[in-house]
This record gives sequence, C-alpha cells and structure tokens, in this order.
Amino acid sequence: MSIHPPQGRRLLAVMRQEIRLMLAERGPWVVGALFLLLVAYALGNGLMQTAKRDRAQAAVAQADRDTRAGQRVQLEAILAGTAQPTPFENPADPSRMASGYGGQHALLPTAPLGPVALGQSDLFPSQYKVTNQSRVVFMNPSDIENPWHLLSGHFDLAFVIVYLLPLLIFALSYNLLSAERENGTLRLLLSQPLRLRTLLAGKLTVRAAVLLGPAVLLPVAVLWIARHAGFAGASSAMGSATLWWALLVGAYALFWFALVVAVNAFGASSATNAMVLVIAWVMLVLVAPVLLNLAVTRAAPAPSRTELATQQRVVTAEAMKRYQDLLGTEYQHVGHGAILMPRNGKIEIAGRALANYKIEREVDEAIRPALDRFDAQQARQQQLLGRFGAVSPAAVAYEGMTALAGNGVRRHARFEAQTVAYHEAWKAFFFPRIDARDAFTPAEFDRIPAFAWQEEPAGLMRGQAALAVLQLLVPSLLLFGLAALRLRRFSVA
Amino acid sequence: MKASMLLNWIARREFLERLRDGRLYWAGGLVVMLLFTALAVGWAHQQGAHAEQVAAQAMDYRDWLHQDKRHPHDAAHQGMHAFKPEPPLSMVDSGINPFIGSTVWLQAHRQSEVKFNAAQDATGLQRFGNLSVGWILQVLGPLLVIVLGFNAFAGEREQGILRQTLSLGVSPLRLLAGKALALAASLAVLLVPAAIVAAIAVAAGAEQGGRIDALLRLAAWALGYAVYLGIFVFLVLGVSAMSATSRTAITVLLALWIGQAVMAPRVLSELSRTWFPSPTRLEFNQQLGAELKAVSDKVWQENFGTTERWGRDVPLSKWGIALRLDDQASYPVYDRHYGRLWDTWEQQQTVQEWSGLVLPILAIRSFSMGMAGTDFSHHRRFTTAAELHRRNIQDLMSKDLVVHADPLGDRHFSYQATPDLWATVPPFDYHSPGAGWALRHQARSLAVLCAGLLLAVAFAAFATVRQRAL
Repeated sequence: MSIHPPQGRRLLAVMRQEIRLMLAERGPWVVGALFLLLVAYALGNGLMQTAKRDRAQAAVAQADRDTRAGQRVQLEAILAGTAQPTPFENPADPSRMASGYGGQHALLPTAPLGPVALGQSDLFPSQYKVTNQSRVVFMNPSDIENPWHLLSGHFDLAFVIVYLLPLLIFALSYNLLSAERENGTLRLLLSQPLRLRTLLAGKLTVRAAVLLGPAVLLPVAVLWIARHAGFAGASSAMGSATLWWALLVGAYALFWFALVVAVNAFGASSATNAMVLVIAWVMLVLVAPVLLNLAVTRAAPAPSRTELATQQRVVTAEAMKRYQDLLGTEYQHVGHGAILMPRNGKIEIAGRALANYKIEREVDEAIRPALDRFDAQQARQQQLLGRFGAVSPAAVAYEGMTALAGNGVRRHARFEAQTVAYHEAWKAFFFPRIDARDAFTPAEFDRIPAFAWQEEPAGLMRGQAALAVLQLLVPSLLLFGLAALRLRRFSVA
Repeated sequence: MKASMLLNWIARREFLERLRDGRLYWAGGLVVMLLFTALAVGWAHQQGAHAEQVAAQAMDYRDWLHQDKRHPHDAAHQGMHAFKPEPPLSMVDSGINPFIGSTVWLQAHRQSEVKFNAAQDATGLQRFGNLSVGWILQVLGPLLVIVLGFNAFAGEREQGILRQTLSLGVSPLRLLAGKALALAASLAVLLVPAAIVAAIAVAAGAEQGGRIDALLRLAAWALGYAVYLGIFVFLVLGVSAMSATSRTAITVLLALWIGQAVMAPRVLSELSRTWFPSPTRLEFNQQLGAELKAVSDKVWQENFGTTERWGRDVPLSKWGIALRLDDQASYPVYDRHYGRLWDTWEQQQTVQEWSGLVLPILAIRSFSMGMAGTDFSHHRRFTTAAELHRRNIQDLMSKDLVVHADPLGDRHFSYQATPDLWATVPPFDYHSPGAGWALRHQARSLAVLCAGLLLAVAFAAFATVRQRAL
C-alpha cells in the first residue's frame, strides 16, 4: 500500500505527459486528422442522402395532396354539371377512389438521427401507395436504386465507426505497453510510485478523447446545427436518441480499447500485437457478421418468394374464374355517359369494374396468410440476431446504430405493420360504400382515412439501445478482467 | 539454364520459409476453410433456387395452356410469370442477385418490374456482405497475399540477408521474379484445390447442355482472380522492397488494403451516384406516366379523331384495335424510360470499373459477377427478354380481339376464346447468354485488371531495382 500513494494526481500527470508526447509526435495528428476527415465526409454524405430522401418524400406527399384536391374539384364540377366523368377517372365512383386512381401513400419519415446511419433506407421503401389491391401488389421493394449501390453499402457515420474506428484505435494504441517496454522506458516509469494500471488508464483516456471527440461531439454538434438551421424538424426524442447513440459509440470504442489492453497485457512485441489486433478485426468486423447473417437466415429461412409468386397467380386465376360472368358484362357506360353520374346519392358501377374489385378483394384475403408467414419469419430472424448478435461487437454496434437512426429492420417492420393497418382502414372505409353503390361526395373527402405515422415508443428504443450497450460492455469487461489477470504477472523487461 | 535454376532455387527457398513460419498454414487454412463453407452454401442455394424456378416456370406455362374458354384480355391480365434462372456460377459469386428481383409478372398494359429480391427477407447484417467465394477472394485474398509477402524484402533487409544475396551478384529483378513465383505458388497451393472443387461443383450443378459453357465461364472467372491476386503479389513485393522495415511495409500495405477493400466500394458508389444521379421513384413514374398518356392521346386522336376513351365515337367493338394501338405506342416509351434508367446504372458502374485501375477490387467485382452471370448486364438481358415475351402475349391476344371484334356493338366482353389461342403463345424459354457474350461485356474490366497488373509489375520492378540493401 505504502509504495502506491493515491493515484489520482499521478493519473493526471500521466495524462499530461501523454498529451505532450502525442502532440510532439506526428502519428496522432495524422490519425486524428484522418479520422476527422472521414467523419466529416460520412456525416456530410448522410445529411445529403437524408435531405434527398426527405425532398423525395415531400414531393410524394405534395403530389398526393394535389391529386386529391384535383379530384375534389372535379367531383364538385361533375355535381354542378360542368364536367363529365370518364369511366376510369370518376371521383364519384367509390371503386375508382379506392383504387390506384384515388390511392394515397403511406410515408415513413426520417428519424432525427437518420443521417448518422443510412442502414436499410435505400433497400426498404419508405413509401407505399395504398389501394384496395392486395398488399402483395403494392408492398414491394422499389427497384429504382442501382443494385450495385445496394451491394456496396453507404459511406455513412455508422460505417466509419463500425469499420474504421477500431483500426484508428489500433493505430494509436497497438503498442501501448509494448513500445514502452521495447524502449526500456517502462522500467523507468514503474520505478516511480506509479501503478501499471494508472499508467494504462492515463494512456487510454487520452487516446479515447482524441478519437471519441470527433466520433461523438462532431456529429452531435453538426446534427444540432442542421436541425436548428431548419434542414429538418426537431423532435423531442432526439435528445434521448443522441445520448444513447453516444453511449453506443463509447461502448463500442471501449470494447476495442479493452482488446488492445488485453493483447498488450500478454507482453508480446509491438509487431505481434499489431498482427493479432488486425486479425481480430478481420474476424470480428468482416467475417463474423457475414457468418452470423448466414447462420440466422439458415436457422430461420424466409419462405419462398417463387412459391408466393405462383400462389399469387393461382389465386388470381381462381378469383377471375369465379367472377368470369361479371367480367363478361359490358361497360354499360360506353355511349351512355349519363350512367357514370351519381343519382340520388347512388352510382352504378360497371360489371367489369365491380368484378375487378371483387377479384382484388379475394386475392387479398387468400394471399394474406402467406404474407404473414414472411413477416413472422423476419421477426424471428431479428429475434435470433438479438440473441446471438453478441458474437460480433461490430454487428451489435451496427444494428444498434441503424436502429437509433431509425433506418433499421425493426422500424421498417413497424412501418409495414402500420401500412397494413392503414390498408385495412382504407378497405373498411371504401368497401361498404362500393357494396352499397354509394356515390362519393365532396364532403366525404375529408373522411378518407389518412396515414399518420406513429413513431416507435421511446421506451422500446431505449431498451434496445441499452441491450446493445450491455452486449458491448460485457465482453469489454471480460477483456479488461483478462488484462488485469495478465498484468499482475507483467514483466517490465 | 543457370538463370532458371537460380529462379527455381529462390522460389523454393521462399516457399519453404513460408511453410516453416506457419503463416501459410494458419492464414491460408482459414481462408480455405471459409472458401469451402462459402462454396457449400452457394451450392445449396443455387441448386434449391434453380430447381424451384424451373418447376415454377413449367407450372406457370401448364396453367396458361389449361385455361378454360375466356376473354383474351382477361387471360392477358392474369398473364404469366418469368422467373430469372439462377446461373450455375451463382454458387461462387451471387453478384447483384440478392439485391434485385428474380420474378417478373408479365401482365397486360404495363411493363412490370422485377419483384422479390432476397434482400427484402434478410436481416440488416446482409449489408456487411454475402458470404461467397467471390467475396472472400476479393476482400480477404489481398490480405492473404499481404500476410504472406509483406516482409519478403523488408524482412531480409532487417536481417542483413538481402545485402549478402545482392553481393553474390543476383540480379534484383531475378530476385523479384523468384519471390513472386514463391508467393504465387503459396497461393496456388491453397487456391488450386479449391478451384478444382469449385469446377466439379459447377459442372455437377450445371444443366446438361450448359456444362461446357459454365466451365468456360469458370475458367475465365478464375483467370480474372489470378490477375487480381497477381496485382497484389507485385504490389506487396514492391512495397516491401521500398520499405525500410517490415513494420513500415505492413502498415502501408494494410492501409492500402483497407482503402481498397473496405472503403473504395462505398466511396466510389457514392461518387458515381453523384456524377450520374438516378431519378427518384416519383420522378420516374411521373415522367413515364406523362409520356404514356401523351402518346396514347396522340394515337387516339390520329386513329379515332378523339382522345375520349370509349365515348360515343369509339364503340367497344373497336376495343381490340385500340388496345393494340395503345400497346404498340407504349412500347417505345417503356424502352426509352427504362433504357435511360438502366443506362444511368451502367454509367455509374462504368465509373467504378475504370477506377479499378487504382482500386482493383472494383474491376474484379464487376468481372467476377459478369462471368458468373449475376451482374446487371445479364439481368438487363433477362428483363428485356421477359418484356418482349409480355409484348408477344399482348400482341397475340389483341390480334385475336381484333379478329373477333364484337359484331353486335355491345357484347364485347362476352366473347370467349378457346384454349387453341392459349397454345399460340410459346413458353418463356430463357437461356443465359454464352461465356463469349459475358466476356465481351466485361472486356473493359478485364482490360483494366490487366493494365493494373502491368502497373503493379512495373512498380515492383522499379522498387526492387532502386531498393537499398541496408
């Protein structure tokens, strides 16, 4: 005890010394500058992509509003006798309004932290045009994005942190102790009233500050400015999400620092340390997530889409056959435009249009169990990932960050679920009117169900983030424990 | 004679050294283990998907033929499916396939998009990459070369061996050739057995008629990777010769590797999109819709003197002819719009292929999936064939409607065609293009790879000749 006086001041002394050393060397400057550059590029890219997506969303919403307003004006003109409806563009006909002609989009807004991890936002659509057709028709990934880009992935902040931050941590600290020993300075240092772990803590703190500064403070500041400069709407959940995001980045960095310390504690040469660390990085960041994804999709394979396509065709064929007679009836309106006009609040729906409505309705019912199976299996995959994701800290960090950024699988599944609910509401609104042949009125325009996105509850988000942080902290503590064991027998020479 | 003996001697010595220090065993062993896992997974996937698609396609056509009597336009509405065949080489490189659909519903009126990609049913982790032989060779292959060769010159310099060797009068270029040969041999020991297993798997997985073609594709594919790894052999030796210490060599090489394998694909992907922006879904749909409406109106005006659909002037007995006119007018519009979108994608890819000159992974990625038949040019060819088939169905159905135009004037949809009409539509029998076609489409990336190899050789020769012995 007596040989180790209180270490608090010594820690500060070590840190001061380390800062001085790092300032004097070129390496830390290069690493710090490089990291800053990467973070800035990734963040700028994320902000740009998100802004582009927001603009596209706004354009879709505007187009929806314009279409709706135009239809209303046309309906009023028809009722006033100043316009003639056409068979396919008739706002008085509820079967037309329920279809693609009157369909509106369900839109998934960008979450406040969206720009930091673009995640699956390019792969999963954030807009679905909801109609009375089966969702197998309208809920499909949009193939407007070049598949080559989908394969490559984004250069976003999550990528910089998950892939590159560990390497920069290595660059600054792979020889944390080994260099001191190789230079003979460790013996000198420890001849002072200084504990080895105080020395380590001082060195780590300074290095962590150099890297976590740009990794956490810069993005937070930029996002804050971007929000307040009016690039996007602020949200009350942003503060909490940002805090959890910072914790996640911190825990992820801690894991790699713990690995560095553990590797150094084994007392091998600097060259060996570097080699071991790079191999660990390749295994944990490159290989493990790929194998994990493979294992999860093998353990809970998605049902066959080929079979789904076949089933869709078969149920469509059956429904068409059932309504063949109705399909065979005429477009009675042809040559008798008056038939398209509402009369006494009622409207005639042509046999063929009616048949199409009934066919869509049956296809929707028949195909639903198959679609539910896809959803269930995806939920199962995510569940497995939650359980076994811990084998790769990179996977945990990546999933955690995309979830906080609102671009992960979970939030998208929520969007799909809400779209399905909206679809149900849509059908519940229109089907009785179609069945009763009620003519659509301008007043009813305001009663058409509108999609309103319900954000994930903050508690769920916090819980998931806390789990991810825990999944990173546990292995970090184990590594620190291992390091502590080894350091007891650490030889300074 | 003497020169070649010396070369052999250098190569053998280097190779033995690599065996002795164990690097070849553990690093190589790991890569080989991953390769076989990937091959097994790829094999299972390819076989399953292929069998499923063949069965679904056959069933689809059978159901088409067995339709009862019905209105031809209803038959056209129900349509057919085209399933993209899974090429045998997708077991070594799945390319863009997981990220693009594999099923097209060929229906009336509209050019369908290709639906159902595998990525929509996978976890978020797929963005880390798909385990395939191609991915391992592209990403981990260069790392293996680095691990095996980073100290080839620098290590000997540190130990003082290099000075002795050079003092014996051994030409530096010969030394380089020997070391390159040894490095290539180390890689061959690991990769050739894997390639043989892959060849057997591909031959077994291919259909009877396509076996030779699949093997030709595999041979070209393997050649591409040989060039790719060759670039790294010389790059590693060059950097090792230039570096004063092994530590500098490994640091520089790892930085280069991370830059090209991890960062380059993403950065170039973002840049190419900035240079050749893709439209948004809304923009695409609005432009397409506006032009379709414009040409349709024009056609109606020219033929019927009105743009009003099914009004007093155009009775339903004209339905067949109007449908045909509309369809025929829409085909060039679809060709133009989809063509433009796809050309943009190809331009984006061209940017990436050219950058393969300094970032070989981008060139090999393109070449690899091109030879495997899983790149965009193969996809585009399939989609085009499917669309042509759709048009064929539409045209046949419309023709029948024109022939059976309603004589009564108001009984148009009660007409029912007999199954003989269905039989006039041929099955959708799509075959992937041959190896020659694929190679022609990948000529650029192969040329870029070869140029990269020449540059790497020149760099290594320059660095070896200029290197200091101490």
